Amino acid sequence: MTATLRARQIRYGGSLHWLLRAVVAVALVLLVWKMVSGTTPSGLGKYTEAMALAIAALSLNLLFGFNGQISIGHSTFAGISAFFLGYSIRFWDNIAFVSLVEACVLCFLVGMVIGLPALRLKGPYLALVTLAIAYVWPTVARQFIERKVTAVTGESALTKFLVRPPSWTGLKNTRQDRALYLFWVSLVLMVVCYVVVRNLRRSRVGRALVAVRDNETAAAVMGVNLARTKVLTFGVSAAMAGVSGWLIAAEIGTVDENSFTILTSIKYILALILGGAATLTGPIVGAFAYFFADDYLKRHAPHWSWLPGKFGSGPIASFLLGVLVIVFVFIAPQGIVGLCRRIGRNIATVVPEPIRGPADEPNNLPEDLPKNMPKNMPENMGESTS
Amino acid sequence: MTVKQLLQYVLDGLSIGSIYALIALGLVVIYRGTGHINFAQGEMALLSTLVTWWLHDKGLALLPAIAISAALAFVGGALIEVGLMRPAGRRSAFAPVVVAIGLFQGLNSLSGLLFPKSGQGLPFPSLFPNKPKDFVSIFGAAWRIERIGVLAVVLVITALLFVLFQKTKIGLAMRTVANDATSAKLVGVPTNRILMFSWALAAVIGAIGGALKAGIDTNVSIGSMFSVFLLSAAAATLGGLDSPGGAVIGGLSLGVIESLVGNYPHDWPASDWIGIKTKTVVAFLIILIVLLVRPSGLFGSSRVERV
Repeated sequence: MTATLRARQIRYGGSLHWLLRAVVAVALVLLVWKMVSGTTPSGLGKYTEAMALAIAALSLNLLFGFNGQISIGHSTFAGISAFFLGYSIRFWDNIAFVSLVEACVLCFLVGMVIGLPALRLKGPYLALVTLAIAYVWPTVARQFIERKVTAVTGESALTKFLVRPPSWTGLKNTRQDRALYLFWVSLVLMVVCYVVVRNLRRSRVGRALVAVRDNETAAAVMGVNLARTKVLTFGVSAAMAGVSGWLIAAEIGTVDENSFTILTSIKYILALILGGAATLTGPIVGAFAYFFADDYLKRHAPHWSWLPGKFGSGPIASFLLGVLVIVFVFIAPQGIVGLCRRIGRNIATVVPEPIRGPADEPNNLPEDLPKNMPKNMPENMGESTS
Repeated sequence: MTVKQLLQYVLDGLSIGSIYALIALGLVVIYRGTGHINFAQGEMALLSTLVTWWLHDKGLALLPAIAISAALAFVGGALIEVGLMRPAGRRSAFAPVVVAIGLFQGLNSLSGLLFPKSGQGLPFPSLFPNKPKDFVSIFGAAWRIERIGVLAVVLVITALLFVLFQKTKIGLAMRTVANDATSAKLVGVPTNRILMFSWALAAVIGAIGGALKAGIDTNVSIGSMFSVFLLSAAAATLGGLDSPGGAVIGGLSLGVIESLVGNYPHDWPASDWIGIKTKTVVAFLIILIVLLVRPSGLFGSSRVERV
């Protein structure tokens, strides 16, 4: 992508670059501060849910964006983990965090098992198999878990489990403090998941992932273990989806067979696409954009007076969201992050430190590439989504 | 389970399965042209079915209502291809899938907006007599006329489609595009028009299949086509996504499996796990196993990759 307009170049690691980073960091801190100060429990809960969606989109990005394996079954892992949390609080009196670790391990293992057929199946066939798993999950949840729960408690679903803030936080067991506690927990978990994906992407493993996505045969020839790479990616991605489900369950405090269906998986996919697949920050941006667009439309669209009479009462929000996704394919095929990057490139580009000789030509490397990459590599190899 | 009952369940399964087979054919037609699963197939069928309901509600007889709705679906399907899918395809290889998912959501909620009462379900008439007394006895089993009728109609339509695929010039062009779109274009096949026709055809198939399914259920609601889409997609996958014959066999066998599992006797072993509630789960598990053994479905062509 050679920009005709020569944009300002910012040296990677230079003082201007650090200044920019500092500005972004301060802006993020201010944003978080704005989120928590004086917000009601339900407002905090919305942020928590948005962050849970971001974690799910991050996990899907690892699998689909970077490794090229599509999964419509990620709601299953979220569901497993959600039930696990409810079960362990209600029946085993577990500490919530222990159940998070256990749920992640469980999802990792289940993910690896489901990832095994992925070795043989390609594209739409894999999509169908994961779709089938997402379809089967609610029935499995009902037959295996809910019936047992009902036999013991007499309730039709796992309800009323609370994640209480531990005493060292100084937070009390009130609705406000619980919401605040979950907000911070989800923020930390989201940052951890982001860092995991980012570090994976910049490591040898991440380059192997992308190589497998772009050309399996070539990757195998280069010495990448295809089976191990794909199955492990599926497992790690599943574990992260589990974190997302755990958070949602902790936030809502109720889980039943219909909490995590195919439509949940589709929501993950749409959030990822909206933000930008195969970008590092895309899933987070997309999840927040999707969640709050959905929230805004649900609250306001039914009251729009310019809509013809009967339209206001129906599922107008979900219709507009569908339209939005289609529009996005055309105006921002790389998602919000891709769009911002395209605009940003005309203003300024970050160029890496020169390795051999002085940097005499602009080198528009995308941000998620390792900084010490040889200069003669194709420019946007990290971005192609094919 | 007596032989009589078994025969009855098999026929029930065949007639539901024939609808899966029909919708699966719609999926295969599009998959062969574009290499994508049309996630909006079920919702396209839903909208057409609701239009049929509306026309019928306004006093039109059922058959003309279906015909008009199918004609509208033909135009709508072509418009979707020209207006959305083709431009999206130029963007990236994955863009049409995203558009289809967006359409899935958009068309479903559009149906809810245009027909606000469809949330609770609208009464839908059957094309065939479906009173409890309308059955014929064959080998002692009660075969309901409605089920026989649906099966017959679908088999006739399927036969017509196969004639279209195999004996007409447009079918030849469709097969050429399915085989290799670029080469087809180079030898002068109007690829774009063929793709447009494929989408239009898939939409018509959806309109007919949707009306038949709604007739069997005697009801159409916002959610009624989603499971049909899932099972049809499963049927198409089972048969091999690029094989029309496979779609038919996949659909019929899926219907029979579902019917047999759904009527599993309560006093047989493991009836807790096999029964009406788990019939779809069992069907999907069978598909999963088949796909593990044959990754391109039963009759799908596996492409040999050259390095």
